[in-house]
Amino acid sequence: MNKAQFSEMISKKVMILDGATGTLLQKRGMPAGVSPEKWVIDNPSVIIQIQREYIDAGSDIIFSCTFGGNRSKLGDYGLEGQTFEMNRRLAALSREAAGQRALVAGDIGSTGRFVKPFGDMPFEECVNIYKEQVRGLLEGGVDLFAIETMLDIQETRAALLAIKESCDLPICVSMTFDEAQRTLTGADPITALITLQSLGADAFGCNCSTGPAQMVEIIRMLKPYARVPLLAKPNAGMPRLVNGETVFDMGAAEFGSYTESFVEAGANLIGGCCGTSPEYISELRRHSYGLKPLDVEYKAYSAVTSSRKTVFFGEDNPLVLVGERINPTGKKLLQAQLKEGSTHELRRLALEQTDKGAQILDVNVGMPGVDEKELMVKAIELLGGVSDAPLSLDSSSPEVLEAALRIYPGRALINSISSERIKLEKLLPAAAKYGAMFVLLPLSDGGVPQTAAERQQIVKSVFEAAAEYGYKKNDIVVDGLVMTVSSSQEAAAETLKLIEWCSREFGCATIVGLSNVSFGLPERGWINAAFLAMAVGRGLTMAIANPSDELLISIKMACDVLTTKDVGSRAYISYFNSLEKPSTDQAQTIHNGKAMSTGERIYDAVMKGDKEGIPLLIEDAIGEGMIYGDIVDKFLIPAINEVGKLFDEKKYFLPQLIQSAEAMKKGFDCVEPLLAKEKADEASGADPKAGADTEEEASITKRRGKDVIVLATVKGDIHDIGKNIVGLMLKNYGFEVHDLGKDVSAERIVEEARLSDAAIIGLSALMTTTMVEMRNVIELAKEEGLHCSFMVGGAVVNEDYAREICADGYAKDAYEAVKLAKRLVDGVKKA
Amino acid sequence: MEKRNSKIKYFESIPAVPKREMILSRLGYRKDITVLGSKELSQLEEAIELGASLCKPSGAYMFVPIASLGGCETVLDNGIFFRSQSLSKLLEDSRCVVLMASTVGREVTERIFHDVNEGDASKGLIIDSVASQTADAALDWMMHFLGKMLVREGKKLTKHRYSPGFGDLPLVYQKDIFNALQLERLDIALTEKFMLVPEKSVIAIAGVEEKGS
Repeated sequence: MNKAQFSEMISKKVMILDGATGTLLQKRGMPAGVSPEKWVIDNPSVIIQIQREYIDAGSDIIFSCTFGGNRSKLGDYGLEGQTFEMNRRLAALSREAAGQRALVAGDIGSTGRFVKPFGDMPFEECVNIYKEQVRGLLEGGVDLFAIETMLDIQETRAALLAIKESCDLPICVSMTFDEAQRTLTGADPITALITLQSLGADAFGCNCSTGPAQMVEIIRMLKPYARVPLLAKPNAGMPRLVNGETVFDMGAAEFGSYTESFVEAGANLIGGCCGTSPEYISELRRHSYGLKPLDVEYKAYSAVTSSRKTVFFGEDNPLVLVGERINPTGKKLLQAQLKEGSTHELRRLALEQTDKGAQILDVNVGMPGVDEKELMVKAIELLGGVSDAPLSLDSSSPEVLEAALRIYPGRALINSISSERIKLEKLLPAAAKYGAMFVLLPLSDGGVPQTAAERQQIVKSVFEAAAEYGYKKNDIVVDGLVMTVSSSQEAAAETLKLIEWCSREFGCATIVGLSNVSFGLPERGWINAAFLAMAVGRGLTMAIANPSDELLISIKMACDVLTTKDVGSRAYISYFNSLEKPSTDQAQTIHNGKAMSTGERIYDAVMKGDKEGIPLLIEDAIGEGMIYGDIVDKFLIPAINEVGKLFDEKKYFLPQLIQSAEAMKKGFDCVEPLLAKEKADEASGADPKAGADTEEEASITKRRGKDVIVLATVKGDIHDIGKNIVGLMLKNYGFEVHDLGKDVSAERIVEEARLSDAAIIGLSALMTTTMVEMRNVIELAKEEGLHCSFMVGGAVVNEDYAREICADGYAKDAYEAVKLAKRLVDGVKKA
Repeated sequence: MEKRNSKIKYFESIPAVPKREMILSRLGYRKDITVLGSKELSQLEEAIELGASLCKPSGAYMFVPIASLGGCETVLDNGIFFRSQSLSKLLEDSRCVVLMASTVGREVTERIFHDVNEGDASKGLIIDSVASQTADAALDWMMHFLGKMLVREGKKLTKHRYSPGFGDLPLVYQKDIFNALQLERLDIALTEKFMLVPEKSVIAIAGVEEKGS
């Protein structure tokens, strides 16, 4: 059967498929835990009988018993070496059962593994696994293929390509959607439909997972976007396990009563999945008499997809922003990282752009000195995990784009195809094979035409070539070819004319690379924004731009309102309501609206954690003749004490506390040498407490003598961020910290404490298995006669444990550790 | 021909999205109490975004039938043996367990170390919180994913999961699960004291229950 015959057949009547096979095999003697495919080959009369019962009940198409017949699944039973022969034999058995009374679909299911980028199986390995099965099924004489119960788009693409590259038989594809209407890996039904019908599925639908009531709704949802026939194979309700047996609650009569709803929703092929039997199929057949399926028509829309999301554009849809920033041109960090194989900047740019409102991400990784094809494939695999935005694959190389299209798990937008010979000959067929949309760049081997009229001719000629591959006007996006107005002021008008012609006369979507227009001019943002508004007025549908440009985003939001594409201005209102409103800044209240003195600004800088600004403020204060000790005692210390108070009250959180402590330390480092020099210059005997208001502040002032604290994460433990933060805070509060790192032995800690005459040993442990090491450190230190104090901390440690191991104190966080350290040191000094 | 033992499945890229409120809560942020200025807010956002871009969540899982379950002992088909009252209680309605692990990779850990030790501890701390929450979110995602797979068979996962090192399940069991899942493939290592490296990695056990029971 060829594809045309299949379409013809589908258009005439509702096709009835078969029902469940596995449960019937079990009822007729197949034991649990065996390979169904192998058991059927060993007991061929059983499957022939079951399939004849389905045909007698009314099935027009039966599925071969090869659902788990791929090398990966058969490998679970050690049968991978027999894949071809088993599929050939099983298809032949179904052929024998069907005779001329029904068609045989070669049934293909999941491999049970996950394909990259989601899983670890390379895409090409998956394609080859399916090709081996397809060869066997073809040899066995199937009439068409049914890829069914699929959980993941990328694995489904692999199966579909394997069949397309092996034969021209019709291919039905059916995925499983849960009650939330998503596949296991997160695709919604419309995204799956658009991706797979673009790739060449001749019918699309869903099976398993839900009962008929939920599945009718999915078919209804798909119909407005379906350019191919729709298929439904529901379960007999939802499964339940009762005493180890799977039970479905819906009876055959109720199941059959959904037939009319399915046909009215748009289904052309209907059958049953788990829990159904020939009785259920008989009910479907009975209810389908006299019903005519809805026509399968070409639906006009433009859409690209990722594996989890669809973006529609043109017609009544708002302007679509394509993020332009994943492009190494002019980005040294991205260039360097791409060359060394690091992907952090790539991920960051993707997240940043989608966060700012890009709906599609343009991906260009071309630059000298790299393997662009390898990089593009890597980027696509990476971005699929980072963002659900569809990609615009941007390269001048047909080889790169073909490799990208093969592994891209959705319907891509190619950027771009022009009338250059190499593009038409090499890229256009590849684009068509993978069902991609493309940006039509109106330039030729002769260069860039200057006028809109010349560009229109190129658009027409490229589209004519594309139409031969089945392309419609909805599948292309014409690039307006924006040239810079600083070299030719009329260029913008020509681009606008082309956009208007495409929108109003030719009837296709348009795109512009916006920032080109202002190149070479000052204050480019104004030109870009004005040009965007003018282009939208002529019908522009997409813009490649930087989504971090707030002016452009604001213009886009406003344009969508004025062109009535943002219905009820809802997106506009939501966008501007969501813009950050800075909260009241705690520290700003200190000046009560008056201009702050330099001292107050130092205080404010500590409160705000402004470690970059504080050295200049200290310099100003010194220039104004402020006493060095006053800078510390009247501003730095009161500010950090206030920060500590706010932290205790939860008004500051940990990052603020640390930033403020770092700012204070930076300020103190500026003053400290001056204080030391002052001390050296003056006669000794000055009161170190002078200027301090409280006992606590005085103790910090005195600490300029640097008490030593030895810090370590104990032996066996590798977690050290908490200990590092404690160390940092202690340093910022004037202690001399000897941080020994993590996984440190008791001997090493005690030795360091002895050599440095430490006042305190601070120990950290995160796990119950390692906290016991704290006791060993304390015991060893005491055995060696050290007179220092011990403080402990970490996720599993508490006050009780500290007491139990004879530590002098426990601190639950970094600020508590500072206060505890001060208490311990001051206590020793007083004693 | 009987089916061979359950295979290990690997996810190389998990779309784990950490809960923002959990990231902040871990840092001591309290809603309606903690006050952030606009500059601090933008620094926070920047660090969260940076942390998210540095995390590369991946994971592994395998189903293993329970051979016996009684008192505080659970024995799995593959020979792994757990002694834990709490785990036995969690698995009391299960005939099978899922062993799983997730990690966010080494790059983010290296960045945290760099920031904390090279003068931007505040940023390092925020990234640390993002990384911890992302590793947990990756396990949450795997639980959700496996739950969706199991519902098709009329089964479900236990509501909670259990990790060695918590409650009465000693950390030493990380070794058995590490070996069973062959976590070297995810570039995870185990220390002598049974800790995972990189440290933003998590191992967990959950039970598979029958829905109708």
